[in-house]
Amino acid sequence: MLDIKNLHVAVGGKEILNGLSLHVDAGQVHAIMGPNGSGKSTLSYVLAGRSGYEITEGSITYNGEDLAALPPEERAAKGVFLAMQYPVEIPGVTTMMFLKSSLNAQRRSRGESEMDAIGVLKTVRAKASALNISEDMLKRALNVGFSGGEKKRLEILQMALFEPKLAILDETDSGLDIDALRLVAEGVNGLRAPSRAMLVITHYQRLLDYIVPDRIHVLAKGRIVAEGGKELALELEAKGYEQIVKDAA
Amino acid sequence: MSQALALPNRRVEEWKYSDLARALGDAGFGEASARVEVTALPAGVETIELDQSVIPLWISAHYGKLKANNVGALSLAKTRSGVALHVAKGQVVAEPLRLAVTGEGHVRLLLVLEEGASLTLLEDFDPAGTRNAGFEIVLGANAELRHVRLAPASGAVQVEEVSLRLARDARYHGHFANFGAKLSRTELAIALEGEGSEAHLSGVTVLSGDAHADVTTQVTHAVGRTHSTQLFKKVVAGHGQAVYQGKVTVAKGADGADSRQTAKALLLSERAEADLKPELEILADDVKCAHGAAVGDLDTDSLFYLRARGIPEKEARHLLIHAFLEDALTDIAHDDLRETVRGAVSRALNEVVA
Repeated sequence: MLDIKNLHVAVGGKEILNGLSLHVDAGQVHAIMGPNGSGKSTLSYVLAGRSGYEITEGSITYNGEDLAALPPEERAAKGVFLAMQYPVEIPGVTTMMFLKSSLNAQRRSRGESEMDAIGVLKTVRAKASALNISEDMLKRALNVGFSGGEKKRLEILQMALFEPKLAILDETDSGLDIDALRLVAEGVNGLRAPSRAMLVITHYQRLLDYIVPDRIHVLAKGRIVAEGGKELALELEAKGYEQIVKDAA
Repeated sequence: MSQALALPNRRVEEWKYSDLARALGDAGFGEASARVEVTALPAGVETIELDQSVIPLWISAHYGKLKANNVGALSLAKTRSGVALHVAKGQVVAEPLRLAVTGEGHVRLLLVLEEGASLTLLEDFDPAGTRNAGFEIVLGANAELRHVRLAPASGAVQVEEVSLRLARDARYHGHFANFGAKLSRTELAIALEGEGSEAHLSGVTVLSGDAHADVTTQVTHAVGRTHSTQLFKKVVAGHGQAVYQGKVTVAKGADGADSRQTAKALLLSERAEADLKPELEILADDVKCAHGAAVGDLDTDSLFYLRARGIPEKEARHLLIHAFLEDALTDIAHDDLRETVRGAVSRALNEVVA
């Protein structure tokens, strides 16, 4: 589903990713672990299509298509979803209205019919209760005054609503207490499917106790330096990044 | 023309961003009279043309009595065209009164709400015609006026001075939606004269091309326990220029006055301009006053977030601009009038967001 080859990405002229290669098949959950500054967020942004991230070399192929050639909205419509580390607050747009606009924009782009307000409301409600998202939250301005946990739950609600083919979760565990983490992880696990691939980006091994990956890649200085099964997370936890990076060198 | 009524140019501090003398040229406002048409008259409102030979006492008691700037004084001197409107003591008018200010030249309006009266007013400022309107509003004790002024995009020079005085516990809610003109100036002079009186001003401006729109307010807290709020939002594209000058004065002894003013502008092009100048003059001791102004462009994080959720760039820009204006629009309490203004804003934004 996702095939990244020798990816080099520069931000403001500075090379952040240098020669990253990664292959993820449908139905699999891969984790990207790495210390601060290793390029984790750059990878997530470049996959979602944020401007300012210049691909200087290499390729990103998604279902046989050159992903880098598409604007962010087309990537979303084709099933790429990024659960963001810092979801933005937008005063003046209610959460419900945002969800409806997003969902219908994606449907329009795929040539599907738009859902009416009642249809969207019913679908959202059904998925929101499992994530403990109240009716009141949906009526409030998008992410405005939401706690860290509420913001992350809303990201997962969007993932459940949009039903992406490739979901990238960028530091979804940051700022969550253990109860919120469990709730978010349950939401994510419920979305594991044979047709869906997930890329879980995290600094800590903790999240991977709840979302168990098929494969773990260690990112350091802009490239993958170590790979392994889920047991690699425990090794990282025990030895620390520094040792693993040194071992790999 | 006497020196006192000379048209202001940019060397006059209050008109620094709106050079009226230059915009009008040698012709000035001319000698013609514009008109006011009452387009929806609900029961409970008395209306009289100002050029009658016999006028009732409520007109002579209030007409031409409020503080006026040079331009307001000019319309008073030049014309008797226009209407006076009156709502009797205790009369609560449910349906909105609708006025159209039309034609070319000078025109006057007077609105008097007696004690305990209540009215909703929609003022349509016709875009055709160089015009100078002077509007005096007198609110008696505990009276309440909800005023929405809608000025569509115009190629002319359009000026209106709205002067208000509020007696004890009177309440004024004014919303000013403005889409610019060759030169557009809306000047609001609000005198909170009675204890417990309050004025809530809000407005949205959407400009494109080389449109100009100036909202200048002067709010005077003459006595204590008075309350004023101002929230003005401006979206400027092309070569447009939006101006907000807001002066709040709290008089000596007006303790317990509470005032807040906010003006924000969103600039959508390199050549767009916003001049925001909130100002406070406090002569009392115990007051609560806050003011702020901010100029910026669309937030790139928000734009990316929306696009990453599948919303195309143009639609995302629309959504964010609407969101920026939203709190000023929700200040319009009357549902129908709010939707009227919202519709005008949406149409204007379609021109602005390519």
